[in-house]
Amino acid sequence: MTTNKNTSKDFTRRDFIKGSASGLGLGALATMGIFSYSEKRKKFLPAIERKQHDFGVCKRVKITNISETSWFDNAVLMGDIRNAGGLLVNQYDYNWPPFGNGQGLAKGSYADGIKTFRHLLPNKLEEAWEIVYEKSVNPDNAGGFAALIEMEDMDGQIHKYLLDSGWSFKWMEACFRREGIDNMLANHEIEKFFISHSHFDHFWGLPVTYKYDPTIATYIPEGFYPEDKQYIADCGFRGELTEVKAGLREIAPGFVVCSFGVPIICRVFGELSLYFNVKDIGLVCVSGCCHEGIIQLADTAFRELKYDKDQMHGIYGGLHISPFEDWDPKYDDMVIAMRDWGFEKIGCNHCTGIITAKKFIARGYNVIKGTARFGSKDEAYLGNGDIIEFKA
Amino acid sequence: MIIMGNEQHLFVEKRRLAKRWKGPIPVIVNTLFIMLLFYVTWWIFQDPRGLMRLYTPFKGYMVCRWLLIMFIWVVYIFNYWPFRHSWLNRTHPLIKGSILTLFSVGLMLLVIQGFFVNILGKFGIAYFNPERLMDLGITEFYAEEYSFEAIMMFAAIASWLSPAWVVACESSPWQQLKQPARGTTIVLVTFFLSMVIYFITMHSHMGILYYPWQEFTAITPPYWEKFANTVSGNFHIAWIMSATVVVWIYETIWEKYPFDLIKQDWLRRLASFAGIFVIAVAIAFFLYFAQELAWGQAVRGTKRLMAPDWRWLHVGEMAIFWLVPSLFLYFYLDNWPRKYSRPVNVVIRTVVTIIAAALLYIAYYKTSHLFLGTQEGYSHPQQFPMIPMIWLINVMLINYWFMDGWPGWKLIPAKEAESAIEPSVEKEINWNPRFIGGLVAGVTLAVILYFAFLKFLPKWCDIFTIIKSNV
Repeated sequence: MTTNKNTSKDFTRRDFIKGSASGLGLGALATMGIFSYSEKRKKFLPAIERKQHDFGVCKRVKITNISETSWFDNAVLMGDIRNAGGLLVNQYDYNWPPFGNGQGLAKGSYADGIKTFRHLLPNKLEEAWEIVYEKSVNPDNAGGFAALIEMEDMDGQIHKYLLDSGWSFKWMEACFRREGIDNMLANHEIEKFFISHSHFDHFWGLPVTYKYDPTIATYIPEGFYPEDKQYIADCGFRGELTEVKAGLREIAPGFVVCSFGVPIICRVFGELSLYFNVKDIGLVCVSGCCHEGIIQLADTAFRELKYDKDQMHGIYGGLHISPFEDWDPKYDDMVIAMRDWGFEKIGCNHCTGIITAKKFIARGYNVIKGTARFGSKDEAYLGNGDIIEFKA
Repeated sequence: MIIMGNEQHLFVEKRRLAKRWKGPIPVIVNTLFIMLLFYVTWWIFQDPRGLMRLYTPFKGYMVCRWLLIMFIWVVYIFNYWPFRHSWLNRTHPLIKGSILTLFSVGLMLLVIQGFFVNILGKFGIAYFNPERLMDLGITEFYAEEYSFEAIMMFAAIASWLSPAWVVACESSPWQQLKQPARGTTIVLVTFFLSMVIYFITMHSHMGILYYPWQEFTAITPPYWEKFANTVSGNFHIAWIMSATVVVWIYETIWEKYPFDLIKQDWLRRLASFAGIFVIAVAIAFFLYFAQELAWGQAVRGTKRLMAPDWRWLHVGEMAIFWLVPSLFLYFYLDNWPRKYSRPVNVVIRTVVTIIAAALLYIAYYKTSHLFLGTQEGYSHPQQFPMIPMIWLINVMLINYWFMDGWPGWKLIPAKEAESAIEPSVEKEINWNPRFIGGLVAGVTLAVILYFAFLKFLPKWCDIFTIIKSNV
């Protein structure tokens, strides 16, 4: 407040404060604008520290695509998602099989759905599917994702692992029979079962696995919701369940899993991906859907793991780029950036999207083509029943 | 807001509001009222568990952004035309608020459906029309999402340019025109400019959204690829959203300081408009850098927290978090403080609102998934904090612009208002060479604080983690 009684000293103090306040804003904005996106800013960023964790080595990895066709008609699936309110709607609300309650789209819940067929799990799946079929929205559209991984250790012993259990009981039973997974499970040939994440097309076919081996050691990522865990129990599981906390966990020499704490569409959280160090060729990344992103998967390995030749050799799985044959320019960033990571062999399918596979091929990446059998639609990527092998 | 040149006030500037009760009761009551209105309308329109579930997300995103622009058009550009000011003075806030909101919604539907979908989308650019995209083989869900994304992006630009023309350019050169000529002219001019900037900043984003890249109709890859480390138009969203926020920061808590010190009309208007842009770019760069300090350098091709495109988007999201407490301070806390000189008031308000924005940011990421129907985590691909934040801002604007701050405040008659106007303390400030010493000291302090912030931010982030994530 200025008055006639102000002294010249008072004026100086006030002027100084006014000037200082203005200078503070001017200086802050100018520095922010000039320095914050300059090359010099990088001096303030921590250098990338590679931990080079040695997790051993294996001789080879072979992967059989049991099923990559999670759903058969994209338009039907996206129509359901659209009409239910979009991609943030809880997956148990859609009223998709097996959790249909007969109330129609977007009016479902885990509790309502499971009570109609819980008593039939895990053995009477045909009967359960008949009930589910009547009460669910678009049951014929359900397929599923699952893969058999065979890892040969340095002693020549083969270790079998199952990645995911698909969606439709009916479809997955047929796929398991086609590839002999049912017998492998019943004979306890498959040592461990990894559920990549709790999405309907990877997880809801769970009873099909537990029907043949309800005691198989099962791994899930951190982030499963209570109803997800309840489903595991309701499916008659009697084995050891391991919830992998965010980060790495060794499974066998040359084999680690990594749990990524990622929020995922349809109210799912967390994903488990797999790394193998194959002797003389390098790292092989295997994913169910790779919601964390393939570059994130590679970057995590680069920062954390030691692998042969320091080479990113191969990928298998759904890479979750254009799962609904949708697109976004940020996916182009991924396609473009893939070259920097030097992958030598790309076995992709499922949520990678056919558009993405075609963009990979157009950029000259070594995408292993498929045979488009058993419901798979395009030879651009590995289809149902196709096999990929990573070995020196 | 004063329309310089002819001293014509907007209605929101001329009106005087008085608290209905003494003390903090009006603020508390209005805060509760706003929160209730926000949550009820969120549940009805946006919530993925609610009734209409517009949060697909782009449908809801488009709606909340265009609604914001309609409010700005009604209040700032058309000065409430065709509604008479006498009607505004005598009508109950609830009735007035409902009518003006419905009027804005009607306008919004006209712009979205009438102009973008049915004119531009049918006769100009296919991607504005979902049906055309469906005819080209895209599923209904993505046809709508892509179209609404494009319409929403246009809104992002308009939400910067429309108010900037009034706030910074003082409606020049049409400030002497009567309504609706003035409003119509400004809408058409800012709409045209938005269109030009849309083509420069967003059209290439839409051009590479379709397979194969639409290289004959858009610049592919976009020209910003190397500079921004992404082909995504989110790079532009960063500075455009920052500009949208800065317009309102400049108009409200900064009281147009410092550009209103410029006495020459054309220079003041030009400096204000350009200054808002420059400040926005500075803020955008800084907020991007802050993320690098907190989470490490972005890795191109990653999908979420570590991706450059998401980081640019998050710049705009962080900026919006600042706008909410700034408007709250201006609307409901009488733009506190007012007792010091304007530069000092501005600095205090800026610091206070930045701290409040940081707290709001933390509260949002810690708790919003518990009540908004969204998911925990920073970078869900379908999650945009701008939607609930802009929805909240819209609710505040309805309450303050359309309802005179009811129930905590009331409109007081013109005669009472004249006597109720309090002289502002040291409102006017003129440039004085005696400021130079302080100015130098202030700039020096700012540089020291900036580099101290760079040094300590990573340490703070190590100590205080909002959401634990390895992605």
